[in-house]
Amino acid sequence: MAQRTGWTEQASSCRDASCPKGSSHIFKVVLLGSSSVGKTSLAYRYVKKDFQDSLPTVGCSFFNQCVTLDAATIKLEIWDTAGQEKYHSVCHLYYRGANAALLVYDITKKESLEKAKVWLSELEKEFLQDEIIIILVGNKLDLSEEREVTVQEAKEFAKTKCILHMETSAKSDVQVTELFMTLACELLKRKEEQLQATHWKKSRINLQETTSHRAKCCQI
Amino acid sequence: MSLKSERRGIHVDQSELLCKKGCGYYGNPGWQGFCSKCWREEYQKARQKQIQEDWELAERLQREEEEAYASTQHPQGAQSLTFSKFEEKKTNEKSRKVTTVKKFFGASSRAGSKKVLAGKLREVQETKAASPISRQVSVETDRVSKDFIEFLKPYHKAGQEIYKQCKLFLEAMHHKRELSIEEQSEYTQDFYQNVADKLHARWKVPPEKVEMAMDQIEKYIMTRLYKHVFCPETTEDEKKDLAVQRRIRALHWVTPQMLCVPVNEEIPEVSDVVVKAITDIIEMDSKRVPRDKLACITSCSKHIFTAIRTTKDEPASADDFLPTLIYIVLKGNPPRLQSNIQYITRFCNPSRLMTGEDGYYFTNLCCAVAFIEKLDAQSLNLSQEDFDRYMSGQASPKKQEAENWSADMCVGVRQMYRNLDLLSQLNEQQERIMNEAKKLERDLIDWTDGVAKEVQEIVEKYPLEIKPPNPALAAIDSENVENDKLPPPLQPQVYAG
Ligand SMILES: Nc1nc2c(ncn2[C@@H]2O[C@H](COP(=O)(O)OP(=O)(O)O)[C@@H](O)[C@H]2O)c(=O)[nH]1
Ligand SMILES: [Mg+2]
Ligand SMILES: [Zn+2]
Repeated sequence: MAQRTGWTEQASSCRDASCPKGSSHIFKVVLLGSSSVGKTSLAYRYVKKDFQDSLPTVGCSFFNQCVTLDAATIKLEIWDTAGQEKYHSVCHLYYRGANAALLVYDITKKESLEKAKVWLSELEKEFLQDEIIIILVGNKLDLSEEREVTVQEAKEFAKTKCILHMETSAKSDVQVTELFMTLACELLKRKEEQLQATHWKKSRINLQETTSHRAKCCQI
Repeated sequence: MSLKSERRGIHVDQSELLCKKGCGYYGNPGWQGFCSKCWREEYQKARQKQIQEDWELAERLQREEEEAYASTQHPQGAQSLTFSKFEEKKTNEKSRKVTTVKKFFGASSRAGSKKVLAGKLREVQETKAASPISRQVSVETDRVSKDFIEFLKPYHKAGQEIYKQCKLFLEAMHHKRELSIEEQSEYTQDFYQNVADKLHARWKVPPEKVEMAMDQIEKYIMTRLYKHVFCPETTEDEKKDLAVQRRIRALHWVTPQMLCVPVNEEIPEVSDVVVKAITDIIEMDSKRVPRDKLACITSCSKHIFTAIRTTKDEPASADDFLPTLIYIVLKGNPPRLQSNIQYITRFCNPSRLMTGEDGYYFTNLCCAVAFIEKLDAQSLNLSQEDFDRYMSGQASPKKQEAENWSADMCVGVRQMYRNLDLLSQLNEQQERIMNEAKKLERDLIDWTDGVAKEVQEIVEKYPLEIKPPNPALAAIDSENVENDKLPPPLQPQVYAG
């Protein structure tokens, strides 16, 4: 399936009626990770500022959120994914054309970090280093007494892979907003860098770059 | 515009008034000089070809359905649904035919007055719009063009410029028909990007209007290109369609439980929305514009969310949504699934596919189809043996779960299923009787053979010899030779005592 991947600017504007400014930058963010690590809870907590213990998996699966930073208003489009193991083989379709990925693991479950590493290696196959922003997210910080993954271990791994690392709790609302703000800042920064780099080039050249990359992706 | 009064004022030669076909009736410039009857015939001919093709496809698919139906012992709900859907498609086709004929007459009578109103610029503009690269005038295409021009009017200069760009693009595409579909897709995508950039930068159209304009542009160009770029012969699309269709049919036995679908169809509201979702996803094939196809997928997805929410009494997540979508696709077996996905991927405005809700649901549909293609025993929590047996049709898991399936069926269908069940039981009994009878026959044959053999053996062992009679014995009666040598028989004596 030929789809434009990589760092493409979405030329459309914010369609969200609740967004006052109508931001012109839309970024696609995918949530990846094993089942029950708290992907849906994180997105829901961030978007709805709400968390209900009684609901194992809450909210919908597609979220829109406008973020106003100093420099600009951007829109995050958060794509939740089905985490069950059996869907793993088709999930690569979800992150096509994504601008960012949140690799979520559960700090009380070692194997969920291992799974996140598998996701990362798959992302590395699809994207070049500067085409996507990846944050490794250790969730369920409120259960730190049952911790199986140390902060150090995760941080070191993230460092070797040149990705960011953060720990959150969707339940106690710790670092959730910060997580998405960090992401938004990174996205904007990356975008501006890229604009600078191609400042003198016309959009035509930009276009060809994405085209050639698409061709590459199709062969995979 | 007072067309009627102007037309009345024109004098025409009598011969010009007669039908061009020479049937003797009066012709009408609106019908290109034919009478209404002959025009309808002419128009029908052109239209017929397209309709014929659609019919043939529908019929072929239905035939295949029927064959598959006949070959499976236990027909399933999913199949009967697809059946009725094809019927529906046909009736749609028929009714569309009627309305398009009406529309055509409406439109063409105005087109005819163009001769009269040759001086009017607006009309000329419409003629241009109505005569694109392909000379064949399609009514729907015509209407879309008019809508497009109407839409562009408020854009003034930019509108004209957009229109020109679109026409140039269509012209260029016409010459690219020989190229591979990937190249045509690439060219179309580049066109979208170029126009969007221009709208933005050169024509200073505000962002929210860019979006709207892009949608209209897509509608305009894709209505025209659809015929040539949907499921083109140069690709494997059709083969893949049939493969997916066959695959889905082979998987008819998959139950919601196996997929962990959080939807309970025994709740009437839920089964209603499930039917709506299936209708939407099947509807997709009938749309020409990629965005309209996407809208069908989105609408289907919304129904799925409603079904899950109604069942679970809580909002659905991605973990619930994807399995349910897979189930809906299996149950609906939408026509030309791969062709539609390919067409949308190749020719939809990329910003619609990459982001936004439509893009999200479309991606999920792609995942669902990919999953169905790869689906194995493990993904249904079945043993390999069970999976193989279900796949080969040797066994059906639904027998035990018949109640779960019949929830969404009407009484008649349920009765039919019960009867079918009864029939299959009778069938089994009859088979058993036949087997027993055959066995009895075999036993009888064996028994006769056995007896014959035994007799034979004995006969061989003790051959029946007829020896000549023994002379000594024979003489006893014949010649009482020694008779007189015997002492005389004892005489009774009386002893006085
Ligand atoms: N203690 C705790 N539980 C959490 C947290 N985040 C999610 N959960 C729980 O983990 C379970 C799975 O969450 P969910 O968001 O559905 O995970 P997903 O499968 O990755 O989408 C639910 O029961 C949540 O209540 C957290 O930060 N702390
Ligand atoms: Mg979830
Ligand atoms: Zn006639």
